[in-house]
Amino acid sequence: MSATLPRTLEQAYAAVVGELGMASAGWLFVSEVAAHAGDEGVEAFADELGATYPVLDAVARQWLDGRRAPQINAKGALDALDGATHVVIVGLESLHLDGFVAAAPAELGISLLAHRPFPVDWERVVANHAGRVDLLYLDSFQSMSGPKSALLGFAYGVHGDRTHVPPLWARVVGADVRAQFRSLVGWDALGSEMNVYPRWLTEVGVDEFTHFVGATR
Amino acid sequence: MPPKGQSPAFIDRARVDAILAPLIPDDGDRAFVVRCVLDEGPAHHRGANYVLLALLGELVDTLGPIAPSTERESVAPVAMRVPPHLARGAPKHYPLGLPKAPLIALASGDAGVAAEMAAALTDGPPQHALANAAMVALLNRALEAARNQKGGG
Repeated sequence: MSATLPRTLEQAYAAVVGELGMASAGWLFVSEVAAHAGDEGVEAFADELGATYPVLDAVARQWLDGRRAPQINAKGALDALDGATHVVIVGLESLHLDGFVAAAPAELGISLLAHRPFPVDWERVVANHAGRVDLLYLDSFQSMSGPKSALLGFAYGVHGDRTHVPPLWARVVGADVRAQFRSLVGWDALGSEMNVYPRWLTEVGVDEFTHFVGATR
Repeated sequence: MPPKGQSPAFIDRARVDAILAPLIPDDGDRAFVVRCVLDEGPAHHRGANYVLLALLGELVDTLGPIAPSTERESVAPVAMRVPPHLARGAPKHYPLGLPKAPLIALASGDAGVAAEMAAALTDGPPQHALANAAMVALLNRALEAARNQKGGG
């Protein structure tokens, strides 16, 4: 890593990515690195951590291309629920969840599936939403299934007719579950293709979702 | 035969959507049922569901409009089944029911036998149960139209 960057940056990123999400943590860290070390620091940061954290790498490349904030299409995500009265969110991107909850009508029930490959204090995560979001677990989320319930999962970039999702989405959306939820919504939380091999993520077809929400409207 | 998990190319979703529109007026509800019937489960079942629903839709169209029937509105719910320990609150149902009237008629008025028939039609996986419900609903309409024509002729 560049001498201008703290050597503990990777450790810090790894510590917060679980509770913020890969893209959200990426934007936080990239903007802070840029504030302290400029574009040269962002490039060094991406070179050092990008292979391990491909979403962070893609965010850094977006920054170097001139983008300064994530694209959060909360309205598109809400529109895609298509009449659902409850949504179960699979995966975590804190910036997107903040925007989604703020824009959601009061009558929409929102649950978050509490399962991540990183250590997460889930009570702290939902405490950010003042009672609007409750927790569900992998062994019980089907209790919120129904003809007016939707699943919404975060995806990372689109290439052709494919996208990448956290492995949790593949664990959740089995043949049984597909027929238990009205809509299976994917929401692109990244908005660009990844330049490095997207390890930790699973490739799926965009057409496996009933609705796919782009990063922009 | 298409690859496992891929729907046959001959499936025309818009055609089935139009056939089911009188039965499921809400666009989102109907899209959910159409997906369960044509896009979920083994590919050959998706194809079979399409063929049977399309032909039944053609039959109903051929027989023409039928008089409104209050009996048609009496339906047995198609249950959305989840593991028992997750079945909290009110029972979950798909937004398409199974008409009771043709089953009661078939059972010579025996409600118990008709209930057994309904259970047989809706006990399988969602793609079977919903396709069965839709087919019975279309057959019910066709039978009513045929009876009306016979009575009028």
